[in-house]
Amino acid sequence: MVLENYVILETGVPARLHFTDHVIMRRTTTDPLTGEPTTRNVLVFDVDRLNGREVFAKYSIMAEKHAGQFEAYLKDKSYRDYNLIITKIGEGFRTSWSVQVIPRT
Amino acid sequence: MARKNRQVETRLVAEYLKERYSEFTFIIKQPLGAISEDLMKREGYERALKVMRPFRPEVDAVVILPHFLLLIEAKVWNVVNGLAKLPLYKALIPVTPELKQYRPREVMMQLVVGWTNPNLETMARAMDVEVKVYYQGWLGEIVEGMHKYWTREYQDERQKKLKMREYFGVE
Repeated sequence: MVLENYVILETGVPARLHFTDHVIMRRTTTDPLTGEPTTRNVLVFDVDRLNGREVFAKYSIMAEKHAGQFEAYLKDKSYRDYNLIITKIGEGFRTSWSVQVIPRT
Repeated sequence: MARKNRQVETRLVAEYLKERYSEFTFIIKQPLGAISEDLMKREGYERALKVMRPFRPEVDAVVILPHFLLLIEAKVWNVVNGLAKLPLYKALIPVTPELKQYRPREVMMQLVVGWTNPNLETMARAMDVEVKVYYQGWLGEIVEGMHKYWTREYQDERQKKLKMREYFGVE
């Protein structure tokens, strides 16, 4: 097992993940524009597999448009039934995430 | 009135896919179109992806069916825009490197909307697009808000609110 605290995606590089659990938590961060502290809701997934390796890590999502891609799977935690290939596209405000959802057999 | 930048369409497509196509592989927000080979040689694949991003539109979803690729656009607002995009996106499938492994497959198109009307259906038929109405409770609140926005009552109420805000100096 590889110990990695957080999964950080590189732009344009797909990562294959499997989530086991999630939590929505409040986190205080520094606003990059104003430099002021701001409190945001963050969706944090527990990751047990990353690119075929067993890991014990977190995947943290702050962007509403990325979190929305998983909203349908949160209530029943059905993301457990899928492998996900996530590719971060672009940078800054124009960032988007391509999410390939693959049923686990 | 729901703010337009709420990620309503993201939620709509994610729920629709989960309900209708959960046994298949699908890709949410797939960039479409070619990546210049010269650019890839010069800058490498990752850098080329970044440079090409403004020229590669993203379709809401692609479902990998056994014999078809299903392109899906979900729209709550600007429904006709979604319809118009689909045939253009279809034209990019043969040159999209990320989908190369799934070719050759016939391409089908679906427009997922909260509501429909006869004109939309006629336009969709002409463009070979299937319209799917996917209406959930949470969407109802947003759709209702949108329809109310254009009524006299809502506009009068809104004008009152704006005046009160101005009176009290509230942003």
